[in-house]
Amino acid sequence: MKLKTLLLGAAAAFALAPAAHAERGTDGEVKLTFPQAVSIMNPYLTGGTKDIYAASMVLEPLAGLTPEGVLIPKLVTEIPTKENGGISEDMTSITWKLLPDLKWSDGTAVTADDAVFTWQYCTDPAGGCSQATKYEGVASVEAVDASTIKVTFSGPKANPYTAFVSALAPLLQKKQFEACLGAAAPTCTDANNMPVGTGPFMVTGFTVNDTVQMAANPNYRDPAKPAFATAVIKGGGDAEGSARAVMETGEFDYAWNTQIPPETQESMKAAGKGEFVVAFGTLVERIEMNTTDPDPALPEGERATAKHPHPILSDIKVRTALSKAIDRSILVEVGYGAGGKPTCNVIPGPEGWASDNEGCIAQDMEGAKALLDEAGWKDSDGDGIRDKDGKKLHILYQTTVNPIRQDFQALIKDWWTELGVDVELKAIDPGVFFGGDPGSPDTFQKFYADVEMYANNSESPDPESYLGQYQCKNAPSPETQWQGENINRFCTPEYDALYATLATTTDIAARQEIAKKLNDMVTKDSMIVVPLVHRGTLSAHSNSLGGVQINAWDSEMWNAADWFRVK
Amino acid sequence: MLDASPLPLVRVRDLKMHFPIYAGLLRRRAGEVKAVDGVSFDIMPGETLGLVGESGCGKSTVGRALLRLYTPTAGSVVIDGEDVATLSPEALRKKRPTMQMVFQDPQASLNPRMTLAAIISEPLDEHTDWSGERKLDRVHELMDQVGLNRAFANRYPHEFSGGQRQRIGIARALALNPKFIVCDEPIAALDVSIQAQVVNLLEDLQERLGLTYLFISHDLSMVRHIADRVAVMYLGQIAELSPRDDLYARPLHPYAQALLSAVPEPDPVREATRKRIILTGDVPSPANPPAGCNFCTRCPKVFDRCRVEEPRLAEVEAGRFVACHLYGDTNKTAG
Amino acid sequence: MLTFTLRRLLLAIPILLVISLVIFLLVDLAPGSPMAEIPLTVPPDVRQKMIEALGADQPVFVRYLLWLKQFFWIEPMTLYDGWFGTSIVEGQQRILSWQSRSPVFTIIGQRLPQTLIVVGTAYLVGIMIALPIGIYSAYRQYSFFDQVGTLFAMIGFSVPTFFSGTLLIIIFAVWLGWFPTKYDTMLEVTDWQSFLQQVKQMALPVMTLGLANAATISRYMRSSMLDNMTMDYVRTARAKGMDEKVVVLRHVLRNSLIPVVTVIALGIPSIFGGAIITENLFGVNGIGAALIGAIHANDLPMVQTLAFIFAVLIVLFNLIADILYGLLDPRIRYD
Repeated sequence: MKLKTLLLGAAAAFALAPAAHAERGTDGEVKLTFPQAVSIMNPYLTGGTKDIYAASMVLEPLAGLTPEGVLIPKLVTEIPTKENGGISEDMTSITWKLLPDLKWSDGTAVTADDAVFTWQYCTDPAGGCSQATKYEGVASVEAVDASTIKVTFSGPKANPYTAFVSALAPLLQKKQFEACLGAAAPTCTDANNMPVGTGPFMVTGFTVNDTVQMAANPNYRDPAKPAFATAVIKGGGDAEGSARAVMETGEFDYAWNTQIPPETQESMKAAGKGEFVVAFGTLVERIEMNTTDPDPALPEGERATAKHPHPILSDIKVRTALSKAIDRSILVEVGYGAGGKPTCNVIPGPEGWASDNEGCIAQDMEGAKALLDEAGWKDSDGDGIRDKDGKKLHILYQTTVNPIRQDFQALIKDWWTELGVDVELKAIDPGVFFGGDPGSPDTFQKFYADVEMYANNSESPDPESYLGQYQCKNAPSPETQWQGENINRFCTPEYDALYATLATTTDIAARQEIAKKLNDMVTKDSMIVVPLVHRGTLSAHSNSLGGVQINAWDSEMWNAADWFRVK
Repeated sequence: MLDASPLPLVRVRDLKMHFPIYAGLLRRRAGEVKAVDGVSFDIMPGETLGLVGESGCGKSTVGRALLRLYTPTAGSVVIDGEDVATLSPEALRKKRPTMQMVFQDPQASLNPRMTLAAIISEPLDEHTDWSGERKLDRVHELMDQVGLNRAFANRYPHEFSGGQRQRIGIARALALNPKFIVCDEPIAALDVSIQAQVVNLLEDLQERLGLTYLFISHDLSMVRHIADRVAVMYLGQIAELSPRDDLYARPLHPYAQALLSAVPEPDPVREATRKRIILTGDVPSPANPPAGCNFCTRCPKVFDRCRVEEPRLAEVEAGRFVACHLYGDTNKTAG
Repeated sequence: MLTFTLRRLLLAIPILLVISLVIFLLVDLAPGSPMAEIPLTVPPDVRQKMIEALGADQPVFVRYLLWLKQFFWIEPMTLYDGWFGTSIVEGQQRILSWQSRSPVFTIIGQRLPQTLIVVGTAYLVGIMIALPIGIYSAYRQYSFFDQVGTLFAMIGFSVPTFFSGTLLIIIFAVWLGWFPTKYDTMLEVTDWQSFLQQVKQMALPVMTLGLANAATISRYMRSSMLDNMTMDYVRTARAKGMDEKVVVLRHVLRNSLIPVVTVIALGIPSIFGGAIITENLFGVNGIGAALIGAIHANDLPMVQTLAFIFAVLIVLFNLIADILYGLLDPRIRYD
């Protein structure tokens, strides 16, 4: 896909936006509910999706992404490309042109200075900006003139659409946040809770972890939008309660993240008040194989490090057999229903980036058994557990405390037991598992288990940084205080070399090919990562809310300006 | 004897007080405790009838049933012309001023959250329409009568000693000018030195106010001091009812003999020759009394008839009533 | 009483300081990190920066002393500044929540009203249901009413609020559509219409919590009544000829209420503590929801401050309960 076609797609998406309404603020109030309440409206000081999505109704980036993963201009006249001269030939700079007469909700003009300030804000070392990766590699941001923003990179940047792109990196108003740089960032409570933005709505009331009240932005660039005069986001409760408030009682128009069991989804649909929509991004529930030996007998500092390869899982045949024994369709049916699909890829989307690898979907128990036989794991003493050289085929399988994950553990344990594997299950509090405390033995980075299950995703449709996780240098180890995203300690020179070419390749099609290869290298070629389920975000909206287009690549509220009341 | 006298103030006939026993999963009625099983006696105006017996013999129950603090199972209790046992609740409440009670435990019987004045005047609130001032006067008057300092009127019961509390209890009982007072072991919880004071107070009040007492006690010496006549109870029934001096000099019923043999004699000569009759065995359960005479299981003089036929209370000498087969057949029953 | 109160208050200071340190260490030592909810896509170096910006990388005693200073000096002075327009602590950092970067006390101030309104009303409703049930159940022990009351209490005890709450939602919100399931914290009561709306949205959470509260308190009330019903002073009151209503309400009930009132007083801190599950279920978003949210997010300043405030309230209301006991029961004096 060429960038040009992408742009055409973007235009088409815009044209599709319903034009049923004519005037701003004529449709009353739109009510949203989030199971996790909104804590802060400044996406640079939070990692929470709930906060980023809520803020996206108020704060906007220069460019956003459509449900198809295509870039669309928001505050700029067009998406800069090499063709239109927006991107320099050597890929070291990108220049954005702001829309004319663009105003903040307080009526002041949006200028390039605001963008420069936003960059300074997020890159201040004392600020603790959670979206710092968005500005990684940015050498400078300059205001060429009042409406021209030039972003210069420290080197050629294959994917220059990170800074100021998507709900994760919106523009802040310099005037409002001027005094909030660096260490002062968290103390600007009012600015963080009620930021001035360019979006369709502006904050009129904010109670922490409870309610966000918004009203239509009188200075929104499209005078006919938004159709709603006010919007409110009520937080708290649980996914089921949120879904019920939309699907059964009709109190709310939109509920984000209503991940509930498939059978409950069905019964709620029956009430006929709304529908579930699923945003399939790149979130994949997977089993990670440990390539290093987590044996507790090993001295601390050597345990689960590259010094000791895993005695069982180092053999690709064993890893493949374990994958073959799993029936991913049953997992989807049990755990996610409409909110999931079986997958064999780490990069399941967007289309074009996803490999066509589907070899793992069908369960193959016999093939798995044969592979283990071949690998020398045989049940020599007839106790149902395979062994080799006097060592039992024993696997410690850990994940977080979560009802669906415990169901998965139980199912997979059954299949693996049938295979002749002795499986020991362990469930860890998510706060500990993902907490990253180097002092805790139970973090997912320490991986003091043979296999572990969790979900991860790429933050952007372009998976470059996501695939970068599996480079040798990113393996967690005592030397890195157990930080690092290469959980499996996967390390091959081929992968690192191919990844290096990705960082310098600018042609989209070539990038996609490399990404697919990298995906295959960690999945079907090596079975280091065993993907299980491509998970979507299940949301619900009432039948009376029109214009909803679920989006996995940007905020689900990306087109809130186009929402309207079905009459 | 009874026929010749003026009309008795209290006339009890065949009083029965049975408490049901519930047992089992569904709490079905499994039987009953015959705490009082057919008791009859009279009390003359101005008289003190002593009621003695071991613990659990039913003497306190008689006192409570008399005042209808328990509703009797059967029998009649005519007090001052009205049968208390069958009065309607409202009529009963109206009747209450005539009959009062002094309780055993002066601490427990006084509401801990009410001042002395409130405790004494509460019945006045209920039964009179006096002004506050008049009620206070009456409270003070009563306090004087029982020997309590008027200054204590606004104190709480816990601030008084045991003897003082019992005086409060008595003053409270006197508030409505009752004719008949049941004294239910009024001195049992008091120090010996205080006991005499309280008993003297009761005697004194009786003299001044013309009161009639039923004095329930297990202290035989104290009963001897205060009572005119004495009824001895055993297992829910009266064994012997005799004038005090006769009873103490020569008890007729074997149980009365045994009981009184335990009383120490003040005269050292007689004390030296006093022979205690030691009863063997335990008191049978009132839920399951023996056939025949109640006392037959422990009686030293038991004979065959005792185990078959229940003796009735009969006058065997002038004014002396005994329920015992030893004293021949007399068809003249008590009453 | 005054010296007793002062002595207790003085004694509370070291206790609370120790409690605050223990809470701090417990919360700090608990596994987990404030970064646990940050998506995995945020790389480790950014996480480290974020932790530094929170001040979470400081040694534990530095953070504890800072918290002490913030809690006991900066926060009260901020309040003082706010009232009198002074600027004593202007610019000094208040206790900030790690999760929302807002001052913890601002959040508490926002959340306390709905917690007090909803949980407080539920407590009142619970008490108002519980007392009559407890009283009548005891008065008619083992009657049909008592059995039903016992069943009601057992249900209230044993059914967890997440279940009873969901059940109420399904019946009253989904089937009948009478009440909303989500509490609108922004609703301002200005007229009858909005008042009605407020009542409607409070109905379900108040019912859920009220049932649980009523169950506990009705049991206390019943057993306390039963204890007092058999006391001698109740018999005294009946013997006085008091009306049955007076006997039950003035004598039995007043004395029975003493322990119940103290139990109720001891339960008041739990109103401030909110109801974690119920608040979450109905989106009341009071203190309870704030606490559980903070615990999930390892928001140490929030958890620490809330836990410490609860500790203060519990100590305070224990004292209040003791003082109440002294006021209600004349037998108890603190001197």
